Amino acid sequence: MSGTTPIAKPTFSLQKYGIVLAFLGLCALVSLVCQIKVMQGVWPVNVFLTLNNLMLILHQISVNGVLAVGMTFVVISAGIDLSVGSVLAFSGMVAASFATRYTGVTVWSDTYMVLAPVTAALLGGALCGAVNGWIISRFRIQAFIATLGMLLAARGMTMAVTGGNPISALSPDFRWFGTGRLFGVVPVPVIILILVFAVAWVILNKTVFGRYVYAVGGNEKSARTSGINTRAVLMWVYVLAGFLSGLAGIILTAKTGSAQTAAGTSYELDAIAAVVIGGASLAGGVGRLTGTFFGALIIGVMNNGLDILGVESFYQLIIKGALIVIAVIIDSRRMSP
Amino acid sequence: MKRFLLSTIALASTLTISTAMAAETDPVRIAVLMYGNRAEFVQLMEQYGREHPAVVSGQAKLTYYDGRYDASVQNDQGQMAINTLHDAIIVNPMDYEANIDIVTNANDAGIPVIVTNARLNTDQMTSEVVSDDVEGGYLEAKAVLGQLECAGNVVIIEGPKGGSGEIQRGQGNEKAIAECPEGAVAVLERQTANWSRAEALDLMQNWLSSHPDQIDGVIAQNDEMALGAIEAIRAAGLEVNDFAIAGIDGVTDALRAVKAGEMTSVLQDARGQIQGSIDVALRAVLGESYEPQSIIWDQYAGDLDWADGQSARYDIPWTVVTEDNVDDLLADRQ
Repeated sequence: MSGTTPIAKPTFSLQKYGIVLAFLGLCALVSLVCQIKVMQGVWPVNVFLTLNNLMLILHQISVNGVLAVGMTFVVISAGIDLSVGSVLAFSGMVAASFATRYTGVTVWSDTYMVLAPVTAALLGGALCGAVNGWIISRFRIQAFIATLGMLLAARGMTMAVTGGNPISALSPDFRWFGTGRLFGVVPVPVIILILVFAVAWVILNKTVFGRYVYAVGGNEKSARTSGINTRAVLMWVYVLAGFLSGLAGIILTAKTGSAQTAAGTSYELDAIAAVVIGGASLAGGVGRLTGTFFGALIIGVMNNGLDILGVESFYQLIIKGALIVIAVIIDSRRMSP
Repeated sequence: MKRFLLSTIALASTLTISTAMAAETDPVRIAVLMYGNRAEFVQLMEQYGREHPAVVSGQAKLTYYDGRYDASVQNDQGQMAINTLHDAIIVNPMDYEANIDIVTNANDAGIPVIVTNARLNTDQMTSEVVSDDVEGGYLEAKAVLGQLECAGNVVIIEGPKGGSGEIQRGQGNEKAIAECPEGAVAVLERQTANWSRAEALDLMQNWLSSHPDQIDGVIAQNDEMALGAIEAIRAAGLEVNDFAIAGIDGVTDALRAVKAGEMTSVLQDARGQIQGSIDVALRAVLGESYEPQSIIWDQYAGDLDWADGQSARYDIPWTVVTEDNVDDLLADRQ
């Protein structure tokens, strides 16, 4: 049998859009339950389906979404980055130390209060990523171990920056990255999230570097023998992940108005979950950003929907745990018929 | 051989004498076991500990341990403190049950052990220097309900489920709500945000979606979560002043929010807890002649009795922080 059977096409599109269907199914389920509550007279309107709530879900997934973009590159390259949550906290703390108005320095201009923290946080994040990438590519250390080291070290650096204290009273201009709204409707973090996905999509799908990431993740040895500088590719993958952790740190710090030493604890797990729900394989070589986007959305809708429906936190954890595993089971069956 | 033995004995006795003499002038070494050091409140406790007059003068020396939010790590550190011959232990425990070992081991080793900030389910400790969480929960809920004049809908943002903070502050919340006329106050939602500002922000945003224009008050079981709720209200484009909001602890950000008229905080006195613990520990080590040195005994005169450092439990009073007294407290934080 040749590979061009007529059923190949629908299978392909299901593969591509299965995650979208899962997302729509979840939305339908939540809004159905909400609709029942509307009919019971609990709410005048379906509060899940309002524009405000949909913006809210996007707002809430912005931090995890940005982390998950970096994680997608890492996972496709057959690696893992456990340090994103700690690097987020470190970058956020660095940003806040430049954006706070309680440093006693008053000569700084408003522009400086935005440029300095943003630059410092992105640089700090990228540097942490570079250290990860260097250790992994230079010493051939497993990504799990190298980034586990960074998970601890970056958390320690976060506390060292301020001696363990939180930093707050941030400049309003800096806080725009978390609380601002474009045209009074779209939250700035949502814009950032969409921009990040768009740029990353182009890098992953339309550039040589993107193809190299897939090649390195698929089979590093054959990638190297075919002339790809695999070390450089891995290096840049982790720099990107670190850079995006820095960006996520900026968003979270600006959103909450305070850099906390415990910020971002276990965020790496949410980011990995989004990537895996989105269809990427932890074995490397497989994954796409659209999948990750919907993976992050599914997690966001779950968090938002279960809160809106007033589900007790114990059951929330059980439902979330089950849904993640079910999503991956469906995905793996789909991939290997 | 004989000479060697003699000189060994001589050396040994000199050593004994010198250690005995050193003990006279050595500072009292106190191990302070904190459950973890990422919270601002713990940072404050550590700072006020260093400012205790006996520590400043060198009469006492504190060693801080970071329990890294793990009860078993903290138990190990308790054993380590005993092994390294500390004279007393002050513990701010991670877990109500799992850390009882620290008290047991200290008792076996014959050194005083003082429990502060959180509780342990035992009465074998030398003393407890704590603030009553039921009272704290009661005071904060009273502040919200007072502002609402006992009429309206509230939400409760809880601490980590099953922790003593969540349970006891929750009991206090309930007690205050029960004092309102029956049915006058409805609790629309209660859910945990694990003491976290970021989690409370998401949670409150979701509630503002599911209960549009219905929430009148927010009872957050700590300040961080109250601050998260304030951010959520702001992000939703609503007026913070239309809500009655309260939290517990008196962290610096919350004091600033109180000053801005956005919330009420109930100050848990970090200085009272740690400095009180140090005085009680020094009394236990040095004996009857010891006089307490912290200013807290004067500050709370009438509400808090030194009782020669012999009480089984010292209740450090709460202070409700409003716009009237916030300036003094803020000045204290600089």
